[in-house]
Amino acid sequence: MDPLSSISAIAASGMRAQGERLKVVSENVANADSTGNTPGADAYRRKTLAFEELVDREMGASMVKVEEIGRDKSPFALVHDPAHPAADAKGMVKMPNVNPILEMSNMREASRSYEANMNMFEAGRDMRTQMLDLLR
Amino acid sequence: MLDSMSFFALASKRLDWLAARQKVISENVANANTPDFLAKEVAGFDSVLAGTQSGMTTTNARHIATGSGGHGGPRVMTDAAAWERSIDGNTVVLEQQTVKAAEVSESYRLAAQLYRKGHDLLTLSVTGQR
Repeated sequence: MDPLSSISAIAASGMRAQGERLKVVSENVANADSTGNTPGADAYRRKTLAFEELVDREMGASMVKVEEIGRDKSPFALVHDPAHPAADAKGMVKMPNVNPILEMSNMREASRSYEANMNMFEAGRDMRTQMLDLLR
Repeated sequence: MLDSMSFFALASKRLDWLAARQKVISENVANANTPDFLAKEVAGFDSVLAGTQSGMTTTNARHIATGSGGHGGPRVMTDAAAWERSIDGNTVVLEQQTVKAAEVSESYRLAAQLYRKGHDLLTLSVTGQR
């Protein structure tokens, strides 16, 4: 495949991966208060995501893919709330280990990277248009 | 006359090189958040002119093709001029790649315009009108 055509495929893989990352971030934010509902039950564990280089031999291009979506193993925060259904014998409730500031910075980075990929896509398309213009 | 033909060959070499370069930049941008990914860069245009562009050429059917179907584009190597290395070992700096992408786009426009001018010149000399 010629370089100009592979640019769009590469940029698309980047946008897809960043979109996936944004999805994980929004899941974490949505579940920032999801606790268990039986005494002493675990709360929502924050999801993590890792990227990996994906070399497409046929196209000779190195793209990107989501390697795995894991779980953050850091400890839960404990809040004293004896009336809560998930409160244990001491009245402590496990709260999700989601840090809103971390999620926010993650979201920012994901959308910036998405934009960067979009710009590469457009740059590639622009170059292709110029090449086709030579035929006119 | 032959000189003007070599002009076209030169312009298309330049266009090929710039396209390969833009592809490598888009690979870098796609992998801007991949841990341990090292930013890549294409060997300079002078190496294309010197004819030493690809280290490996497939001269035998049993050779392993290097990416773009055997004839091999310009040599791609790790970018030694990367601005910084982040904590996860990634050396892609989006700002740097953006600057490069803009530069490549402009050069591509220039080369395409030159190609077109050469063509106009040829048309002019053959037909006497534009």
